[in-house]
Amino acid sequence: MGDFNITVNGKTVPAVKGQTVLQAALAAGIDIPVFCWHPQLVPVGACRICLVEIEKFPKLQVACATPAADGMVVMTESPKVVKARQGVLEFILAHHPLDCPTCDKGGECDLQDVTFKYGLDYSRLQEPKHRNIVDENSTFDDLQIGPEIIRNQNRCIHCYRCTRIVDEACFEDDLGAYQRGYHTEILPPPHREIRNLYSGNVVEYCPVGALTNDDWRYKVRVWLTKQAKSVCTHCPDGCNLTHWTFHNKIFRATSRPNENIDRGFICDIGRYGYQQVASSDRLKQPMIKKNGELIEATWEEALNLIKTQVSELKSKLSGNAFFGLIGETSTNEEIYSFQRFLRRVIGTSHIDSRINRKRRLTFGEEVTSRAIAPDHVSYQDIDKADTFVVYASDLHSENPITALRIKRGVRYRDAKIIIINSRSTHLGVRTGATNLLHKPGTGLAVLTGIVDAAVSSTTFDKSAVGLSDQQISEFKQAHTELLLPKAAAMSGVGESDLRAVADSLVRSSNVVIFCGADFSRYPYRDEELLALDNLRRICKSAKLAVLPESSNSVGAELLGAYPNQYPGGKGSDAKSKFEDLWRGPLPDFSGKDMIGILEAINEDEIECGFIFNADPVRVFPDGNYADAVLEKLKLLVVVDSFMTETARLADVILPLSTFAETEGTRTNWEGRIQYTQSAIKPMFDSKPGCEILELLADRLGVSFGQGRPSEVYGELNKSLGDVLPVRYEMFKSEGAIYDRPKHQPKPGFNRVAYNAIPSDREYPNFLTVGNADHHRGPNTERNPSLLKFTGDPFVGLSEIDAKELMISDGDLVKVESRTGKVVGNARVIAELPGKVVFLPENFRELRPNLLMGLKEKFDHVKVTKM
Amino acid sequence: MQKHVLFENINDPKLHNIDRAIELGAYKAWEKVLKSIKREELVQMVKDSGLRGRGGAGFPTGLKWSFVPVASPKPKYLCCNADESEPGTCKDRVLMECDPHSVIEGVMIAAFAIDCHTSFFYVRGEYDLSMRRIEKAIDEAYKKGYLGKNILGTGYDLEMILHRGGGAYICGEETALLSSLEGEKGLSRIKPPFPAVSGLYACPTVVNNVETLANLPRIVINGGQWYASMGTEKSKGTRIFSVSGHVKKPGNYELELGTPLRTLIYDYAGGILDDKKLKCVIPGGSSVPVLMPDQLDTPLDFESVQAAGSMLGSGAVIVMNEDTCMVWVAEILAHFYMHESCGKCTPCRQGTGWLYEIIHRIEHGQGRAQDLDTLLDLAKNIEGNTICALGDAAATPVISTIKQFRNEYEYHIEHKKCLVKSDFRLR
Amino acid sequence: MILSNDTKSKIGEYAKKYPKVKSAILPALHYAYEEQGYLDDSMYEEIAQVLGVKFIEVAEAASFYTMFPKQKRGKYYIQVCRNISCALLGSHHLTQYLLQKLGTKLGETTKDHLFTVVEVECLGSCCSAPMMQVNDKYYENLTLAKVDQLIDEWRAAK
Ligand SMILES: Cc1cc2nc3c(=O)[nH]c(=O)nc-3n(C[C@H](O)[C@H](O)[C@H](O)COP(=O)(O)O)c2cc1C
Ligand code: SF4
Ligand code: SF4
Ligand code: FES
Repeated sequence: MGDFNITVNGKTVPAVKGQTVLQAALAAGIDIPVFCWHPQLVPVGACRICLVEIEKFPKLQVACATPAADGMVVMTESPKVVKARQGVLEFILAHHPLDCPTCDKGGECDLQDVTFKYGLDYSRLQEPKHRNIVDENSTFDDLQIGPEIIRNQNRCIHCYRCTRIVDEACFEDDLGAYQRGYHTEILPPPHREIRNLYSGNVVEYCPVGALTNDDWRYKVRVWLTKQAKSVCTHCPDGCNLTHWTFHNKIFRATSRPNENIDRGFICDIGRYGYQQVASSDRLKQPMIKKNGELIEATWEEALNLIKTQVSELKSKLSGNAFFGLIGETSTNEEIYSFQRFLRRVIGTSHIDSRINRKRRLTFGEEVTSRAIAPDHVSYQDIDKADTFVVYASDLHSENPITALRIKRGVRYRDAKIIIINSRSTHLGVRTGATNLLHKPGTGLAVLTGIVDAAVSSTTFDKSAVGLSDQQISEFKQAHTELLLPKAAAMSGVGESDLRAVADSLVRSSNVVIFCGADFSRYPYRDEELLALDNLRRICKSAKLAVLPESSNSVGAELLGAYPNQYPGGKGSDAKSKFEDLWRGPLPDFSGKDMIGILEAINEDEIECGFIFNADPVRVFPDGNYADAVLEKLKLLVVVDSFMTETARLADVILPLSTFAETEGTRTNWEGRIQYTQSAIKPMFDSKPGCEILELLADRLGVSFGQGRPSEVYGELNKSLGDVLPVRYEMFKSEGAIYDRPKHQPKPGFNRVAYNAIPSDREYPNFLTVGNADHHRGPNTERNPSLLKFTGDPFVGLSEIDAKELMISDGDLVKVESRTGKVVGNARVIAELPGKVVFLPENFRELRPNLLMGLKEKFDHVKVTKM
Repeated sequence: MQKHVLFENINDPKLHNIDRAIELGAYKAWEKVLKSIKREELVQMVKDSGLRGRGGAGFPTGLKWSFVPVASPKPKYLCCNADESEPGTCKDRVLMECDPHSVIEGVMIAAFAIDCHTSFFYVRGEYDLSMRRIEKAIDEAYKKGYLGKNILGTGYDLEMILHRGGGAYICGEETALLSSLEGEKGLSRIKPPFPAVSGLYACPTVVNNVETLANLPRIVINGGQWYASMGTEKSKGTRIFSVSGHVKKPGNYELELGTPLRTLIYDYAGGILDDKKLKCVIPGGSSVPVLMPDQLDTPLDFESVQAAGSMLGSGAVIVMNEDTCMVWVAEILAHFYMHESCGKCTPCRQGTGWLYEIIHRIEHGQGRAQDLDTLLDLAKNIEGNTICALGDAAATPVISTIKQFRNEYEYHIEHKKCLVKSDFRLR
Repeated sequence: MILSNDTKSKIGEYAKKYPKVKSAILPALHYAYEEQGYLDDSMYEEIAQVLGVKFIEVAEAASFYTMFPKQKRGKYYIQVCRNISCALLGSHHLTQYLLQKLGTKLGETTKDHLFTVVEVECLGSCCSAPMMQVNDKYYENLTLAKVDQLIDEWRAAK
């Protein structure tokens, strides 16, 4: 148990060295009130509400900051303590407006609760209450201090949780406390707003109603709501959320602190990203296309139509004329049911979930995708690392909570960050990161250059990392084009910078390498993965994590959403096993991937498809092509929650319940499987995915009797016990990391093939896509709160290019490529290197995939002022 | 008894120039420390001297140094606290303006005692002349090789950085001083950790008062025993008392500790202005309880003043004559603490303002019968429950004046005017 | 660009002395104030840039201390000590006298931009009360005659 015992209110309580009196008491179930303390912040002992009496101390002590010591005798409710606590409360309440009836915090306010317990029911204050008045005409003092956040200074009890959260937990700097004494005021810096990606946390952790947000304000009283456990679906970090509902409507999302993952801090995308559930373009009921127009229908009509058409097509064609695509935000149960439906009911192996890649799925990818996180990297590994390499990722916007965890390491353990990217990202800001900003498409040169710098250094201790002279010379021979100084020249990164990074990697004792979304889309992904693996070889200890793109990409990979892979990552030899399990014949093991499917449709080999919770027209990296090809289908069934670009092409639409209405599990980037409760009943006439898939299967003659996620998972757990040994019920309490096969590195270095990028005179700029502030991927623009942070969709231009083209902020510009064009307002982005054009992938209005050509390895564009 | 240790040469108008200072013996102690005294010996010598902090708390200086983990690989820091702002106190200013070299020599010696190589001199922002004199003194000391690298060829390095405050009483509190030195707002911090273990930049740090430090060169030259031979059994040496208020000859007087309060007021400060009757004395800066005329024979040493119910504090003796309205005095002091509360902890941030508002109301004829009980209870709720001692300091004058002069408060409340009208006119 | 290059380089130089650059915020504020006579947000920004610290850190610190006003004050910024030792010797009358003589109100600047009178807390000149600080300089043991003489001198000097 503990290292020693202390006594609290006569009870013996174990305590661990380094624990405070408060922590020991809380762990033993003894409640001590707090305002300023927060488990993730450095205690400041400011509010004084946690005063306790400790024997041998002449004065009362703050429990939150007093270290527990062996044999300490603590009283938390002695008369002296109660008197002091009432005194503190009286001080806090003296000038507090007590406008509880109109305060959003009412019902969940720490000040109310503590007053309820200790307060006096009268006030000795005779003078008028101090008033900080913002608007003379209002009795309130609402001050909008950020796109979402409103401050009411009069309610503030000066606990400084908000400013400490922004600084100590979010590593941002847009909220401070000004002046001194009673006049201390909470504000963003002069003329600025609080608008960092984590800004909502200050609202959640303000113990009173001094900071509230528009999202929740004046909408519902908290005690009327119900809470549902949820997990965020906007990125693979897997933050735990609580959805607060009333009358089958969600009113807000807050963090549900999980020590293993988010530690109680979530990003605004997760916080406000529930709003899309009630978006106006929700599909409310089934639709059927008649005379080129989608009209509303009943489930019966829709299912019957599917049945008739599928049966008719199937009688003429084989299962090979069908395909299925599924989005990677679907639950594990939906993914499993979907692929089972296609394989067993429809009889096709043309299944994919990776719908936004340009690359064919080569053998390399087969190997590497198996290894989404080849080293079993987890958040705990971040806490141990002393150096991070972030490759081709805008980690801050793609994996906001992972980024926070890394920054924690920088702040509290002096860890180092090395960022390798062709555009600068927010992660580099004030983290003291080393930024290796390289020319687009030359990441391979950077990586290989670093390895070369390391192995060529006279101080390199090869035996310490198990390398031989021969392996090193083989490496050099194999990469003559990528060694120093050529690597430096090619990439535009200084040779000395490459050497410095090499040096710091070699000296680090624990490295974690992340690569992210940009990477997955790179044409040289496989080579780069090999190059990253090489980078790992020069480190004493290094783990490599390939961050997946979506909240359940790892689940999709594991549960057979790929054409040549059965659930559990099983190969063709498992065919008979699954035929037994699903009681029927299965088609050929291997099928076509996304690109293969589109080609086959184009060549009329495939005529019919099911698209589940995915919008390839919007994201496939040749939007015009995807659009044209899908248009050709004889039958397209789209199961989705929203009227997407793809849904518009459908012959039949089945309305899918969203994440908030669907129970199930998802697997985050670590491989941690987590359970989401359905917060509300399916809205409109929508149905959860598993139910829809069971209905379809049943209608087409193969019933599995598994319309509920728990039933699906039951089968999963039974058939894949070797990979998924955890029972469904267990996820409900906490997630579990599934056990992946260990990655066995080959000895020595990989050989990396490299082809220089051809330059393009006519289209001189490189297109890069990423996220606009407060958005992630194509699914966040349906959340009004997030749009408030963003402004209009924009075309990002570097300062150099803008100057050359005489374009300034807000000018209308045309971006063209060989395959398409888009028009938007320019935004000059100081951090962007020359020749790079940045388009956010978050807005339908400005789809970057319209500029992408399937045949082009790189997306070359040109910009003109309109 | 008046005894000039610190004030030995204080009237020499050129003393602030290094050449003159050296003529009069400056830096001999520093040289001696560097060349012939071991660190441990120095600490012991100061322990033997019985020197206690002159900043307010009176903590034994040698003992404070010995809490510094000298073996720690972290750098150690010494900060001279020259933020003198306690109402009534103006002794450090005299030392800095007239004898800056003794002060910085003291800093050097204290730095050596804790193996510190970077020292800071935190001078009150408003003290312009002090700041310039210290700045010049530091400059001169660098030029003469008393500061910098390899001092006097002994291999010892010491930097001294002048840091000018921005106008905040609280920055005299040692943890707030450190916050301010780190570039933050001057907010106090909870202890533990104590600065000796984790102070400036989370490194071991000692904060010492100007007067405390100025004693060190003398102790080094004359020995701990010499210093211990002055004063009383537990309060050694001399102290500079700033006598202000209603006395004929206000000023800074250096006396041996243990000299009776009466001697200071009547013999040195010339007695009460206009030969009025004495009403009361605040003996240690605005933050300590008042002493009454019948306590005039209290010897001015730590123990005796404490036994008399007050504290020696910063050594500022504020004398008030019979015409002084104590509610008015309390109002002035309450305003001060309200203005200077850093705002970090609840009782002080909220309580200081509340105390002021009630006293202000009473003073302006709006008092109510229950106000005195409320005042006392609020003051008790502040006292001992705050992060730093500013809270206690704010509560003390209220409690003390109500205790001694309750009748004046009551008169105010009942008659809506002063019992004794203080109307001190300029002359 | 408001701060002169000279001031900026002084700030930069001073910052080098400290083990951590953030410590130099206070000296930087002093340098900037000395040059400009007040401070505003854009100066905070420049200081932050010179030092490489966050804007908010400069803004927060500046707001805490009393010596960095955000508005320009009169040429003679008269700060009368209101605290106990001075009060006992009539500082309240001194303030009233000054206000009356200069025809202004507490905290306001006279129309000719010459004078601003404020009351401040103890300035550590208790043994030479009553006193006032004018800009950087202390004027002690004040009497009405002395005040009259000073004001005349300042008015004459403009
Ligand atoms: C509110 C407050 C203000 C203080 N102001 C000063 C001060 O102006 N000068 C000073 O030397 N000590 C001051 N102190 C005391 C310091 O915290 C600290 O005890 C002292 O500088 C230690 O030096 P010493 O041991 O040499 O006395 C103050 C303490 C408090 C609580
Ligand atoms: S706004 Fe809220 S969180 Fe911030 S200091 Fe005030 S009460 Fe605390
Ligand atoms: S007692 Fe007052 S000055 Fe000290 S920390 Fe608390 S609020 Fe700040
Ligand atoms: S919770 Fe301990 S002082 Fe605020």
